[in-house]
Amino acid sequence: MRAVLRVLAPLLGIVLATVGVLVVIEVVAAWVLPEQEGGLLVPWPEWGMVLAGLSWNDILVRGTAIGVGVVGLLLVLVALTARRADLRLVAPSDDMTVTTSPRVLARLVGTRVRASDDVLSASVTASERRVAVTAQAWDDAPDELRETLVDRVQELLTELPLRRTPRVAVSVQEREGVR
Amino acid sequence: MTVDMSKGGDRAAEPAAPVDPRVRRRSRSAVARSAGGDRWLTVLIGLVLLLAGVGVALLSYGVFGTGRASRPLLDPIMLDIVAAEPLLWRSVAIVGGVLLAVFGLTWVARSVRPEPRPDVVLNGGADTTIRVSSAAAGEAVASQAETLPGVARARARLVGSAAAPALRVTLWLADDADVRAVLAQLHDEVLATARAALDLRALPVAVRLELERPQPTPRVA
Repeated sequence: MRAVLRVLAPLLGIVLATVGVLVVIEVVAAWVLPEQEGGLLVPWPEWGMVLAGLSWNDILVRGTAIGVGVVGLLLVLVALTARRADLRLVAPSDDMTVTTSPRVLARLVGTRVRASDDVLSASVTASERRVAVTAQAWDDAPDELRETLVDRVQELLTELPLRRTPRVAVSVQEREGVR
Repeated sequence: MTVDMSKGGDRAAEPAAPVDPRVRRRSRSAVARSAGGDRWLTVLIGLVLLLAGVGVALLSYGVFGTGRASRPLLDPIMLDIVAAEPLLWRSVAIVGGVLLAVFGLTWVARSVRPEPRPDVVLNGGADTTIRVSSAAAGEAVASQAETLPGVARARARLVGSAAAPALRVTLWLADDADVRAVLAQLHDEVLATARAALDLRALPVAVRLELERPQPTPRVA
């Protein structure tokens, strides 16, 4: 969403600036050129006649209002979800800020989990609050594999100087067939 | 241009002084280019559109009375008010348009402007100033950071303003790197040297940690 906002923000600025310039041009033109028929750049007399023929309970007005509301809601959602999802780490001094991405943590956890001989594959999602691991194990894997993997991930998280230690959730799926 | 960053290691041995909260804030804002302004302006515009849309929809469905809902969009009452004071409303429209245009153009300029890369000016004596370019300082820090054990690649650049520069460092670590040790060495060796070489008492630093991509193993030995 950050990339969307990067594109959206200048476009919104251009729209606002364009509207402002058009308003100034049209008002000044209507003021100094009263004999001018219609608008200079915008056909606002025609638009005015259309708007005068519409009432608030018209279906067109209703639909446009809902559309405008939806666009506004989308803008709010895009802006609010455009935060950086960084993980903060403990820095050696106060004038230093250390961050990493959830992707890096997920890769470290995945490498640690896949290092187990009993794990065939693993997928990891990580955030500041939670690390979720879905491991696929061979069908002859020991019953306590889940606990072992949780311990391994916890061990990794204590090795990393994370400011906030995420909760760990591990689920193990057994794969049918021989190793 | 090269910067000698081999001297000044003795500063690292000094006891850690309490850090100014402003320096702490600068180190946090050096993490990445801020999108805070864009985000809040977009939220503001979105809320205005949302409230306007909801308000008109409610009016249209007759929540504020069926009489109001059946009135024309360009209400004759409003047109009479505007026609009674044409000079006032023309002035309001022109001032509003100018403000909107200036605001929009300022927003565009701020959004698309490249992030500043400040040079550091050293005092070389009575009539001499030495300017260390942002690129040279960044390259010097990055090349020294790359010598740390566990660091595969490094990139550094100065950000912020010339009066209050900050350093943004990105380290690509090996999978088996000891993160605590890397950060401690970066702080004690690389950054202490950089502060001494650039003659900066306070140099806030933002460090970004990434993992180096594993080298593909050849399929055929």
